[in-house]
Amino acid sequence: MDSRAPALTFPASLLRDKRVIVCCGAGGVGKTTTAAALGLAAASKGRRVLVLTIDPARRLAEAMGIPASGPKPAAVPEDRLRQGKISGKLDAWMLDPKVVFEGMVLRLADSPERAAAILENRIYRALSDLVAGMQEYTAAEALYSFVESGNYDLVVLDTPPSRNALEFLEAPRKLSLFLDEKIIGVFLPSKGGGGLFWGRARQLVTNIFGRIFGEGFFEEIQGFLSAFSGMFTAMRGHSESVRKLLLSDASAFIVVTSPDPSAMVEGTFLEEKLREMGLPFAGYVLNRSWAYTRGLVHPREIPRPANITAIGESALVKLAGLADEELRLAERDRELLAKLRDKGGSAVATPQLDASIEDFGGLLYLAESLARPSAVEDATVL
Amino acid sequence: MTASPLLDHLLARRTVLVTGKGGVGKTTVAAGLARAAAAKGKRTLCAEVSYEKSATSPLAQALGTSAFHEEPRVLGENLEGVLLTPHAGHLQFLRDSLPVRMLADAAMKSAAIRRFLLAAPTLPEMGILYRLLDLLRRKARDGSPLHEVIVLDLPATGHALGLAQIPSSIIEVIRSGPIHNAVREGLEMLRDPAQTTCVVVTLPETLPVSEAIELAHGVRKYEVPLAAVVLNRVPHDPFTVEERVALDGMQLEPMRTLGARRVPRIDRAKAAKLRLLDLQIPVRSVPELGLETDIAAAVATALEGGP
Repeated sequence: MDSRAPALTFPASLLRDKRVIVCCGAGGVGKTTTAAALGLAAASKGRRVLVLTIDPARRLAEAMGIPASGPKPAAVPEDRLRQGKISGKLDAWMLDPKVVFEGMVLRLADSPERAAAILENRIYRALSDLVAGMQEYTAAEALYSFVESGNYDLVVLDTPPSRNALEFLEAPRKLSLFLDEKIIGVFLPSKGGGGLFWGRARQLVTNIFGRIFGEGFFEEIQGFLSAFSGMFTAMRGHSESVRKLLLSDASAFIVVTSPDPSAMVEGTFLEEKLREMGLPFAGYVLNRSWAYTRGLVHPREIPRPANITAIGESALVKLAGLADEELRLAERDRELLAKLRDKGGSAVATPQLDASIEDFGGLLYLAESLARPSAVEDATVL
Repeated sequence: MTASPLLDHLLARRTVLVTGKGGVGKTTVAAGLARAAAAKGKRTLCAEVSYEKSATSPLAQALGTSAFHEEPRVLGENLEGVLLTPHAGHLQFLRDSLPVRMLADAAMKSAAIRRFLLAAPTLPEMGILYRLLDLLRRKARDGSPLHEVIVLDLPATGHALGLAQIPSSIIEVIRSGPIHNAVREGLEMLRDPAQTTCVVVTLPETLPVSEAIELAHGVRKYEVPLAAVVLNRVPHDPFTVEERVALDGMQLEPMRTLGARRVPRIDRAKAAKLRLLDLQIPVRSVPELGLETDIAAAVATALEGGP
């Protein structure tokens, strides 16, 4: 790279270079909105971007002009992209675990009959009705299929809140451990073979699971696993690929946090955990911060009209009290930003908006503040 | 409305579930509630769900300790903390349902079984529920419950209903046998208004309140008794009605005037409270406080107050 060119700083450089950006963070910090804004910022650089979110966020979907739920990613309409002078392409999908899993079964099963047998299975149907637990498996699977499809330059993934985010990171590994044929083999009806050790393990499993699951149900589980067993090799292959992809240079993990103390604790926890797992942690986004005060006028300095009433004056005095509060928060948030930079290397703040993001304009504003090189940003707006 | 304060109503139950979306201060409310219970002389256990055998967590920190563990540990007078892990639940379950203890221990040593229990969907939740049942059954020397109240800080996920939803699915799929029986017992416990109650925590903003209302409906759908909503970090309104009229008349630009971004928050908080009242259960506000205030005490005060 030309050393004289102004280096793009976090997160702008990621938006240009990476194939996967994963947003993690405590719940309620605006993670989904940040993921959408990052996607928008990357699309404005001409990339083909997919934002994959896990938490259904109806208002965000409205702001982006896409359906809140659907069977596949939807494109953000042209007129909105033009409004933001966005040259790239932006799709978004509120991930539906049921759809992802069904798609996988249909793709991977040996035959349509086999796929139908799985989808009709009583255990499968009960499981796929549960949102809980399935999200983590399917997020990894969806990530795999969209990266593989070649339709996108970048996939921005919004993870389930907080510690569950780690659940998602572990999901591919957990799944591949579980799908280890030796392990699954223990649960399947014996075909002989497998050696003495596995023979004993199988006996133990049959004995114990026969007892605890009750009459008949263990056979049902075996039936379920047998129906799936042809797909396990492929599924394990996918989960290994996702793991490799997430560990590679092509991916970046961003921890989104807010100034709230408990969100900060969770954020730090996530950073440590990501580093521990060898995942490429790229930096922090301090969302909804009050750190931006440049250009704001303090109510004490607002010129009073000649005819101001006593009530008007006392209203301004009280507003000045709120302004002082805001200044204290600004100072706190700048300290937090400095602390995050000391720790994590890279951190950027996004502004507290007038209200929560209500429309595409608000999202664009956020995208611009994320795409700006942070050094410039600090000098001009903090 | 009853005359008895909400706090007494909650603490007359064995289990108080604290639920809410992430970032709403659910953990702070759970910690405040556990502290208040202990201060009232109840032998209290504050619990959270974990997949690790010991973990640092915001809840542990809110209760003045560095980490929680798989077995209860004393945190102060009348107050203990614990992690509910699937592992402890599975082990206890196997010990209770297999004829020989050795078989249970052998099972938990088997990599295949351990992996299956942790990786198969719904089985971890079943373990957590069983662990909760197990802790509720523990007795002190005099035969009274070892922990009179368990305050459970539920995971901050989009599917906070898991604790009730998953068991209902399990008993539909597994129609007999020890797992079925254990889960049914757990579900009956969760649904019994004499034993269990639930508090939904949220923030006084538009979206969190919509989510809290959805969550409350979900809790009711799974027949878990719902006692109250706690509205956390409610901003103080310094203005009189006349002052607000005057201020609004000045038409200050919120993004240009310092302090003005804090005014619409006050309005949103008021609207939020009104919407929550439709749930027809008590809505309690915890005021937004300075950075170093004792929030647990504020939570207790908010819950203590009459209707």
